[in-house]
Amino acid sequence: MSISNSTELICFLVLAFVVILGSLGVVLLGNIVYSAFLLGGVFMAVAGLYLLLNASFVAAAQVLVYVGAVNVLILFAIMLVNKREDLKPIPGLQLRRFLSAGICLGLLVLMFRVVLITPWSLPGPAAIGEGATVRIGEHLFTDYLLPFELASVLLLMAMIGAIVLARRDIQTVDVGTGNEVNQSLIEKAGTPLLVDKTTT
Amino acid sequence: MKHRYSHKSLSNDALTMPEMGAILLSTQFMAAPDELLSLSINAGAVAPEGCVLLAMLGTLIVDLAGEKAASRWAPPICYAGLGAALLLLAIQWDTPLEPSFLGAFLADKLAIAFRAVVALSTLLSLLISWRYAEQSGSPVGEYAAILLAATLGGMLLCGSTDLVSVFVSLETLSVASYLLSGYMKRDSRSSEAALKYLLVGSAAAAVFLYGASLLYGISSSTNLQEIGIALLNSPTPLAALALVFVLATVAFKIAAVPFHQWTPDVYEGSPTPVVAFLSVGSKAAGFALALRLLVGCFGAFDEQWKLLFTVLAVLSMSLGNVVALAQSSMKRMLAYSSIGQAGFVMIGLVCGTEEGFASMVVYMAAYLFMNLGAFACIILFSIRTGSDQISDYAGLYQKDPLITLGLSLCLLSLGGIPPMIGFFGKIYLFFAGWADQQYLLVIVGLVTSVISIYYYISVIKMMVVKEPQEASEVVKTYPPIQWKTIGLPPLRVALISCVLITAIGGVLSNPLFQWANNAVAGTPLLQEAIELTTQRALV
Amino acid sequence: MYIPIVFTFANSSPSLVSSGLDLERSFSQMMQGVGFSPSLAHLLWLPLPMLLVLAAAVVGVLVTVWLERKISAAAQQRIGPEYAGALGVLQPMADGLKLLVKEDVIPAKADGLLFTLGPVLVLVPVILSWLIVPFGQNLLISNVGVGIFLWISLSSIQPIGLLMSGYASNNKYSLLGGLRAAAQSISYEIPLALSVLAVVMMSNSLSTIDIVSQQNGAGLLSWNIWRQPVGFVIFWICALAECERLPFDLPEAEEELVAGYQTEYAGMKFALFYLGSYINLVLSALLVSVLYLGGWGFPLPLEWAASWFGLPLDSPLLQVITGSVGIVMTVLKAYLLVFLAILLRWTTPRVRIDQLLDLGWKFLLPISLVNLLVTAALKLAFPVAFGG
Repeated sequence: MSISNSTELICFLVLAFVVILGSLGVVLLGNIVYSAFLLGGVFMAVAGLYLLLNASFVAAAQVLVYVGAVNVLILFAIMLVNKREDLKPIPGLQLRRFLSAGICLGLLVLMFRVVLITPWSLPGPAAIGEGATVRIGEHLFTDYLLPFELASVLLLMAMIGAIVLARRDIQTVDVGTGNEVNQSLIEKAGTPLLVDKTTT
Repeated sequence: MKHRYSHKSLSNDALTMPEMGAILLSTQFMAAPDELLSLSINAGAVAPEGCVLLAMLGTLIVDLAGEKAASRWAPPICYAGLGAALLLLAIQWDTPLEPSFLGAFLADKLAIAFRAVVALSTLLSLLISWRYAEQSGSPVGEYAAILLAATLGGMLLCGSTDLVSVFVSLETLSVASYLLSGYMKRDSRSSEAALKYLLVGSAAAAVFLYGASLLYGISSSTNLQEIGIALLNSPTPLAALALVFVLATVAFKIAAVPFHQWTPDVYEGSPTPVVAFLSVGSKAAGFALALRLLVGCFGAFDEQWKLLFTVLAVLSMSLGNVVALAQSSMKRMLAYSSIGQAGFVMIGLVCGTEEGFASMVVYMAAYLFMNLGAFACIILFSIRTGSDQISDYAGLYQKDPLITLGLSLCLLSLGGIPPMIGFFGKIYLFFAGWADQQYLLVIVGLVTSVISIYYYISVIKMMVVKEPQEASEVVKTYPPIQWKTIGLPPLRVALISCVLITAIGGVLSNPLFQWANNAVAGTPLLQEAIELTTQRALV
Repeated sequence: MYIPIVFTFANSSPSLVSSGLDLERSFSQMMQGVGFSPSLAHLLWLPLPMLLVLAAAVVGVLVTVWLERKISAAAQQRIGPEYAGALGVLQPMADGLKLLVKEDVIPAKADGLLFTLGPVLVLVPVILSWLIVPFGQNLLISNVGVGIFLWISLSSIQPIGLLMSGYASNNKYSLLGGLRAAAQSISYEIPLALSVLAVVMMSNSLSTIDIVSQQNGAGLLSWNIWRQPVGFVIFWICALAECERLPFDLPEAEEELVAGYQTEYAGMKFALFYLGSYINLVLSALLVSVLYLGGWGFPLPLEWAASWFGLPLDSPLLQVITGSVGIVMTVLKAYLLVFLAILLRWTTPRVRIDQLLDLGWKFLLPISLVNLLVTAALKLAFPVAFGG
């Protein structure tokens, strides 16, 4: 085995371990801040896996989008809502944990089995390396043109929606009649379902 | 490129045919930018969506001028955009079929029919929502813009033939729906609905992505047709796993039991006009997605997904209709009944025959009018009284005959009482199911229809039969009826036209059946599937 | 495959572009001469440029710190450091030594692990970004194809480190400072990336080498600053904001936040922040010179001079000369910009947080979008001048 091959294998093993342990940590750790930071680590390790696959553009995009945007956003949300609150203990939490762990393990076993019995066509197509950036650009403007353009509508709408939901000023006057508005007038004022379970 | 879609069976000639992707790639890498531009992407196929997009941008621009200008100008812009979109769809009906965007979109007749249903449901939802939005002090312009974005996503979803465009349009529809369901900021139930919808929806999207990645891994293509061919050649266990994942997402979108958990809470918390759109437009897009993915892509797993869908349909019909019996809130009752109605439509999907698909289209179109008519009545009632409890409707006949009549007709139609449009839709579905020997489904459908008639009739009885002194407090203090307020005339138009179509559309429904049969006959995808089914039946 | 061809003035001198100093090849040849296998020679070569760049970065910081002290003194009509070495040039060394031997304090209620990891996460991406800074045709660590994009994505890791140290300090000033720093960093990254994108659009490549060679056809006149004046200004403002230099040093505004996320830090951990911010400043200046000021290019094309003296273009002498001139030019341009940044720091007042965000989102973002659009239009209209 040549030097580059063994280096690659070692890198892969390390990254795979980081991904698996990190994701387990994200799910299992009690402290949500640790979970969020670990999530960032997992994203970085995934970017490393992309690098190993010789997809440097995808790796850089992964870091930019997932670490630089998604994870920072999650951290912001956690740190701005830094309210220590003692939640009511959920009844039967232990049982629920066992159940979900069982289901997840079952799914894992199923996937392992499927992966093992599937006839994979190996080796896959060779990586195109540095040409990937150009290739991605060409795809975005030919056969993926429609989703690419639609994504801009999606982002615009998400941005507007987020601003509408987040801004403080709400209208107090009905534009049509000049009366005072009342949202509970339309939706007969009720308690939230989370609080009140009698309606279900 | 027409020959590609006109071949009748997925035999070997489909494989020897030059792969469009390969040609495309080889031309791309040599081509200069000018030549790339001249590659025909046939963008005219999405001209209706272009109209919706223009209307959305127009609404946003008008909204910059302030709330007054928005409430004055946003409605006409939306009507113009959606009207133009419907017109263009009608024109598209007879144009020859050609894949557009290099295989990412296909405007076949099936897509046109479902896109028309989505666009029409948005138009009607908008008509009934102006008054509601203004009275609750919600910004009208952004509301219309987000609803139009959802429509855009839904319409593109109906015609997408590529996993990437399926996913992006699905997300456009979903994200817009989350935003809309949380639009009543000060109503904590609305925020709760949005949060629940967001969490469950994101999980569903993640599951879909996982399934899609498996599909790409099997076929190394994102084009649905190519994936279908790859699956036909090698139906591996991995593909079965992908089927389960994709099916879960589809079931989530059409709210089939047991993927329905989000529906009642979201429907109850969201603003009512949004519920009207979600229960019709979003669901129609979901069914179109189901047809594209399951019929178009998983032909190799025909028996498996039909079995799964039989289970889903039986569960949806029984649970939806039985639980609806116990509801005291009008919106919640309609939420459960819509789960049941989706179960009926699934009968057509499971059949996989010409009649089955046609009856799906017919029932979706009928459901559009009767459900939106019912919602128009509920919204009018809640605008006037601020209530949506079924018990508050007691004795309404004395005070407001229009709502009483409209709601009665629509509910009767939803239950499937003879002269209404819903009856013909349902009978066609059951007929198709019986012809395809889906006896279990048809019998469950019949039984649950009777159950549904019971709770629909009990609402009507509440409104009509009560003596004046037995009327509810809300009805006793019912405000005098007037239609002058801005936003009420469109509501009246929507209400009356929906009720009219529901009431007399059934008798004159021949063109509707004709149209649905045409839609199925003009869709190569469905024809291939029908051929496959009949071949199997013969063997 | 369609390979982007750079139609620029640089095409007039293909021989110079294709040759140049290739130290790796010479090193590899030397090692093979001694008897090493090629792959082993490559393995031995790998750490060398990394160490060299690390050393260069640290020396660059020392120089910058000394400059900062001297220039600030001049701006305030003081003398500044003068006893440590001639003109006080050893003062930064003394500073560093002091930080090195200071006690390493971790506050009692702080989160020890995150507290230590934070400064590391701030420093490492900055040093990694030096991978892509070219000092000559072949004088950079790795000519990765994604080049400048790598820098943008690496610099987006920094906010995580800032948030981490802000949170782990268990101090409200630190947390606020960390949040502010992260908000500032992500807000200014968008116009920064957009203005980079305009340059990339003109050079048809993300690689820093291609970006520079595209500017070196006609010397001074072909630099990007003439074609991207707006982009240059936006980039410089955003780079200052990313480095948290005055007028954008809100995260550590001492009147409001004591010292922001650095409040609880002392000793070597503080030194890491300090080092990180100065390395980042030098790096930004270097990248401005790469993107807009022609990188290693001399204001007059050297091959003109060479042909004047009758030297063949591939002579070793000329290669050594162009290599050294390249390094000198890159460093000179960068330090000119560092000088500007220091001058700005000691002469301008600080902006408020709302002004900062307004400037970023309501002014720079739209302007950079328009700049991108105009660049695209110009590229279509005048492909000769805008790299069509």
